[in-house]
Amino acid sequence: MNTDPAMTSKSTTLSSLNSIPTISAAVSSSGLLGSVASDNDMRDGEISLNTIEIVQRKFKDNEKVLSIFEAYQIIGQEHRSRLLALVVSVAGGTYAVFSLATARLPPRNVNDLSIDKIFALNETFQIGSDKKGSISQLQFDLKTADEAAVKYFYYPIISAEGASDFETFHAQIISAKFSMTHSTAATESILSYSWLNDYRQIGEVKQELKRRENEYIVFKDFIVYCGTWNVNNKPYSDSPLHLWLSNGEQPADIYAIALQELDTSAKAITFSENRPDPMWISKMLSSLHKDGEYEELTSVRLVGMMLTIIIRKQLRPYIARCRVKTVARGVFNTLGNKGGVAVSIQLNEGNLCFVNSHLAAHMAFVEARNEDYAGIVRGLVFDDDLKRTINDHDHIFWIGDLNYRIEEPPGLQLPCNRASPNAYDVLMKYDQLRIEMGKGNCFDGYSEGRIKFRPTYKYDVGTDNFDSSEKQRAPAYCDRVLWKGVRIEQLAYNSIMEIRQSDHKPVYAIFRVKIKTKDEKRYKRIHEEVLKLVDKRENENQPQISVDKTVLDFGVVRFNELSVCDFTVSNNCPMPVEFMFKVKDPPLNDICEKWLQVEPRAETLMTDSTKRVRVKLLADVRSITGLLKKIRTTNWKFDFDILILHVKNGPDMFLTVTGEYKPSCFGLSVETLCRTNQPLNTYTQAQVKDLMNDDSPEFRVTMPREFFFLIDYLHKQGNKVEGAFETLEYKHARSLQFNVIRDWLDTWSSEEFPGTPQAAAEALLMLLDLPEKPLLDPFVEDLLQTNTAAEAMELISLLSSPRRNVFVHLCMFLRQGIERQYYNLQHVASVFGRILLRSTAHAGRDFYRETRCRDFMHRFISSDIGGTLSTGIADSSGISGVGGGANGGSSNGGGGGDGSNTARINAIN
Amino acid sequence: MSSAPYNYNYIFKYIIIGDMGVGKSCLLHQFTEKKFMANCPHTIGVEFGTRIIEVDDKKIKLQIWDTAGQERFRAVTRSYYRGAAGALMVYDITRRSTYNHLSSWLTDTRNLTNPNTVIFLIGNKSDLESTREVTYEEAKEFADENGLMFLEASAMSGQNVEEAFLETARKIYQNIQEGRLDLNASESGVQHRPSQPGRTSLTNEAPNTKDQCSC
Ligand SMILES: Nc1nc2c(ncn2[C@@H]2O[C@H](COP(=O)(O)OP(=O)(O)OP(=O)(O)O)[C@@H](O)[C@H]2O)c(=O)[nH]1
Ligand SMILES: [Mg+2]
Repeated sequence: MNTDPAMTSKSTTLSSLNSIPTISAAVSSSGLLGSVASDNDMRDGEISLNTIEIVQRKFKDNEKVLSIFEAYQIIGQEHRSRLLALVVSVAGGTYAVFSLATARLPPRNVNDLSIDKIFALNETFQIGSDKKGSISQLQFDLKTADEAAVKYFYYPIISAEGASDFETFHAQIISAKFSMTHSTAATESILSYSWLNDYRQIGEVKQELKRRENEYIVFKDFIVYCGTWNVNNKPYSDSPLHLWLSNGEQPADIYAIALQELDTSAKAITFSENRPDPMWISKMLSSLHKDGEYEELTSVRLVGMMLTIIIRKQLRPYIARCRVKTVARGVFNTLGNKGGVAVSIQLNEGNLCFVNSHLAAHMAFVEARNEDYAGIVRGLVFDDDLKRTINDHDHIFWIGDLNYRIEEPPGLQLPCNRASPNAYDVLMKYDQLRIEMGKGNCFDGYSEGRIKFRPTYKYDVGTDNFDSSEKQRAPAYCDRVLWKGVRIEQLAYNSIMEIRQSDHKPVYAIFRVKIKTKDEKRYKRIHEEVLKLVDKRENENQPQISVDKTVLDFGVVRFNELSVCDFTVSNNCPMPVEFMFKVKDPPLNDICEKWLQVEPRAETLMTDSTKRVRVKLLADVRSITGLLKKIRTTNWKFDFDILILHVKNGPDMFLTVTGEYKPSCFGLSVETLCRTNQPLNTYTQAQVKDLMNDDSPEFRVTMPREFFFLIDYLHKQGNKVEGAFETLEYKHARSLQFNVIRDWLDTWSSEEFPGTPQAAAEALLMLLDLPEKPLLDPFVEDLLQTNTAAEAMELISLLSSPRRNVFVHLCMFLRQGIERQYYNLQHVASVFGRILLRSTAHAGRDFYRETRCRDFMHRFISSDIGGTLSTGIADSSGISGVGGGANGGSSNGGGGGDGSNTARINAIN
Repeated sequence: MSSAPYNYNYIFKYIIIGDMGVGKSCLLHQFTEKKFMANCPHTIGVEFGTRIIEVDDKKIKLQIWDTAGQERFRAVTRSYYRGAAGALMVYDITRRSTYNHLSSWLTDTRNLTNPNTVIFLIGNKSDLESTREVTYEEAKEFADENGLMFLEASAMSGQNVEEAFLETARKIYQNIQEGRLDLNASESGVQHRPSQPGRTSLTNEAPNTKDQCSC
């Protein structure tokens, strides 16, 4: 642990500048944990979440992780663990299975998880293994149309907290899929998977950046200085370390300093001493190359082994990652007197690994050393995002007391101190490390520089003399520096004879390493380009459809006649496309106006397929009111409607439904009808629109001819009117024959009425019922407040003259029919009450109101109050009939002015 | 590289409105593809394009809705205004009528968007100087009177196109910073994509820091 107050304060300043945790903090957390039992230690400050909660953090608030399942994939030789998560988007109403790569199992935080694959639970989703789609033992496939099949395996036991067993997980997926495809949303094809795009895109940018790495990666030279020394339990203060650590022409950028036998006391071994020795470290720091400014990055210790990484200060911001790890290979492979300690760092874009190891001793234990090596390689897994092993680094430096000896060839003369370099080459032939490496038994792929120095072991302390003790240990190159990886060049490799405190001589090696570095400018540019590409792809991959027409022209549209227009939607983009007609804003709340019917309203189209959509237009009793209102109020050229054809995740297309409405008397107000001077079939839509909007008090006739014709006809039928005015059902309108009546009215025909009295009665009701406003508008509500006919007449007299005239005329006619018992008083009062006093406010039926309407009508058509009507009218206004001449269409409109004509209401009597 | 949960921190919704033929689709195309579409068919519906931009080191995804300008679609396109954080209102400097209609477009925009929606007026086709019918000065005055941002631009040459879209984003971003936009309201037209807890985002708060050293 670093206790140097100067160090601490320095790193604090640095960290506050760069928001990097202090180095001492870094040391104290992982340095302490770098012990044998370090792996499962708690992290302070981290709330412990169970696995499903951690997975949930990967997603947005309205996306819920329903279930997780532990699986693994086999990639090459490796097992890669995966967490499968079933996730629902509350907003989209859709589900997906995410395959998450896990840095460790169980994951400790959300950073341990990265999204690897996404399987939308759409109709193409499949889970199964053999061809029959059933699940075989401990393995299964997941697959969708856009994600090729992936095989997952699983163990029969569950380790992550909150994870499901396979049967449960499988059942949940199946039921999620089922509930989704059977929901109302699905039947309307509005399921949206677009939320998944957020997760898919990340992958794309990353992949694309990786793919273009060569465009922004440059290699920058860094000097790496590796030193190793077995200090033989000697205190630091004795050693002139600068002799060992300040070599080289230029100051090193990174120092990796490895010590062994720092403290081999039984106590240290038993308690796995793992606190870096601050005294040694500060001694090192003061002994480095004079031209560099240095700071400790991290140190890691296991009993006698300590590895200290020191960097030039200015490099600190470029260290992106730094992890330590220890592996014990001592007695029972648990005690730390032998083994390895290691540091993994990321400098710029390069990953470097430094290992300090102390392998098994003694001449004969070659195999044990090989095994130690293998054990360290196996055991060294750094706790980072990828769970890097030693071999997952670009540049690896393995330094330490590897303890390989020189096989003693009989009669071999050890070269003297000042021997020529070649002399050592002879020795290397007997070097166990070189021999074992040659056989492929250890350090596979590692290189070592040429040794041009004397064996570093074993000396009499304080001298340069080899062991003169009883044991007479053979000299050996125990202390070595090896490397593996790309772009490493060794600049120096030597031992320091002048340091005599230990029975080992220190060794150092200097390297020039070309480290992957982002050229920030180029990176920024390429990142932008990649984003642009992703944008472009997103823009281009928008689902697209085409339609064979955007204008659906219905030609001449007539009242009560069905017309049909088809169009074709095609999908010529490379993915399935869902289209649907968009529901429009209130008050419509539907995809189209009442006079239209669209079939189908939504559909999924596979690539290169087409669908015919049929639009039906019917302006009938249900819809004519709205249609005419729209014609009247649209200030642009009238379109019957505009349908919004929506492509899921794509554009909207507007389809204009158009045509020319051929006017008819049905649905027009009595005022409008009184403004006509020709039969309605001679008018155009535009002319009728003008008539509808004309609000002058000038009328061509006092009462619409169409009313007169019908009333006159019915009047003449005498008692042959069985069933007339009994209901508001409009059954005759449903037959084609009715349109002959329509034409008879719209042409002011002088032919015989082409239908039955019942049909004529229905037509009369329709004439009154279909206009936007009821006949007694605007006094409907006021009239309902009146209690006598006389009282009501005062208001009636204020109606526009056509309304007043129609009302009076109608009442006279009805009263007479009732008197003669052609019609049923109750029915007539009820039916006409509902029509003439129709509420414009609410649509539903209101029986109390209907009763009042009926009572109101009752007063006007029951015979006992006969006098009121004619009196009231005669007083206030003249009724200019359309002339007694029955169907003489051309009959005059009279002078139009109110009061100038005499009441001819009796004409029908 | 650390992984942000999204490629961007915000999504802003824009609409482009204005009379038919003023060059709305061309402006969008120029902005997203850096190309001019000479024979652009009339838009019959609503199309959209996206682009990720950077404002203040924040990545912002613009989701731009290009509407049909034809009068007959006016009622339908009104339903697309809702939830727009930015509205680009375009006229054609060579056709006076398109300028005269601005007040009606502005009325729609004001009625159908929220009070913080940034409205940017673009006088398009600035490359056609010889047939200009609307002067820069009068349009500028109109913009100032109504509190609109304003630029003349050309979808053909690309002049000021980038600027108009980016200025709008900057203004929206500024509104967010100043707390004028409620990010939780769906009508704000802005969606925030916060990076997840304990995670370094692609665009860090302090731009120069490397990832944390977690040793
Ligand atoms: N010279 C010139 N022509 C332009 C410019 N922008 C657009 N145009 C042309 O103007 C015409 C209309 O452009 P669009 O982008 O389709 O217009 P729009 O506003 O989308 O029209 P609608 O979709 O009908 O609402 C096209 O022929 C373009 O080539 C410009 O900046 N300069
Ligand atoms: Mg367009």
